[in-house]
Amino acid sequence: MKHATSALALALAGLTCGLAQADTGKLRLTGGVSSIDGAAGGGLTPWAVIGTNATEGEIGASAHISRASTQDYGLTTYGAALGFKDRIELSVARQDFNASPAIALNGIAPFGVTPGQHIKMDIVGVKVRVAGDAVLDSDTLMPQIAVGLEYKHTRPGSLGSVFNFLGTKTSGVDVYVSATKLFLAQGILVNGTLRATKANQNGLLGFGSNAPGRDSYSLQPEFSVAYLLSKNVAVGAEYRFKPNNLESLGRAAGLGDALREDNWKDIFIAWAPSKNLSLTLAYVDLGRVVPGITGNRKQKGAYLSAQVAF
Amino acid sequence: MKKTLIAVTLAFCGAAMAQTAPTDSLYKTFGEKPGLVKLMDDFMVRLLADPRTGPHFKPANQQRVKEQLVDQFCQVMGGPCVYKGADMKSAHANLDIKKSDFNALVEVLQLSMDAQGIPFRAQNQLLAQLAPMHRETITEK
Repeated sequence: MKHATSALALALAGLTCGLAQADTGKLRLTGGVSSIDGAAGGGLTPWAVIGTNATEGEIGASAHISRASTQDYGLTTYGAALGFKDRIELSVARQDFNASPAIALNGIAPFGVTPGQHIKMDIVGVKVRVAGDAVLDSDTLMPQIAVGLEYKHTRPGSLGSVFNFLGTKTSGVDVYVSATKLFLAQGILVNGTLRATKANQNGLLGFGSNAPGRDSYSLQPEFSVAYLLSKNVAVGAEYRFKPNNLESLGRAAGLGDALREDNWKDIFIAWAPSKNLSLTLAYVDLGRVVPGITGNRKQKGAYLSAQVAF
Repeated sequence: MKKTLIAVTLAFCGAAMAQTAPTDSLYKTFGEKPGLVKLMDDFMVRLLADPRTGPHFKPANQQRVKEQLVDQFCQVMGGPCVYKGADMKSAHANLDIKKSDFNALVEVLQLSMDAQGIPFRAQNQLLAQLAPMHRETITEK
């Protein structure tokens, strides 16, 4: 998998150079920005739009880097995507999660967690537009609809023993359907995504769990709304429901709500100073992330992302 | 899965506001007929200068295209005009128009509207009326 990811990243880099001079014809910001999982959309959730600047008959590429920083954790993500004819999107992303507070788990059991442990996750995504045009079909309520799949592989390092204790697997597949509509006259974009997932904290804490009835897929809705202030500035908000597969396991082990997982939300502003560059700044509230080792704090903080697209 | 799609679609219907019906307030915002004539004069200069749209408009009778656009925009905005030109499908049938060409024209129009000081909101109200024409004008899918 690692080799496949590297090969795709290399191919993307090569293609990006070739495309840098090519004229691709999407309207500004209508390809969305890059989500943390690599797919085009908002920051936390994919949309039905096909990323890059490529419209029908064209091939485009994009790359992004983003950073989220909360009270106790940090997440760096980078990735790239290819868009084919405004129909198919392929994406790769790598996440690097600073899980330093996890050292406290050694106080619960001899897990052997090393100081400053990071959890890494690779994501390969594919998305296919199945119907509609989110932007130009402004005389109907019909949204643009896409289906997508994200294969995720997590490398927990010294936290592998904790994964074993929790019974979470290191890889999983999310499947989602998204519907996106721009109400052009009002300048309002709405997206709804329904995701089937087993992921804990998006996969950073593995997939599924040992808890009875908590090792299967569940359906989680995700919503985004954005308001266009001008051709190149949009403000908006997102809300992403999440499973909570680990809490009951913690409870059974006498740890209370130490493993609680909350829904994610954010408010954002996105700015596209040119057709090829967009910057997104957000305030994210990730709720509690393993509150047992972070003083039960909610994880809130800033998110900044930059994307180049051709 | 189908049920889900329907549910999501329904959610949109709930969230949707009524699409703005053309009233002549938009026509007034654009400066009525003199405003539209000025807009089209600027628009045609930019269309010819842009390497993406220029080749499509150089062979055309530009004065006639401008007059027809004034009438068409005026009518779309609820103004007192009647567009008498050919319907969109037959007018574009013999031209090679891709979606990127359509989008390029929208971008040039946005620049022209910016130059005329048309507010962003009013620009989008016009674009919402014009965008569905992509179905009749794009010939190369």
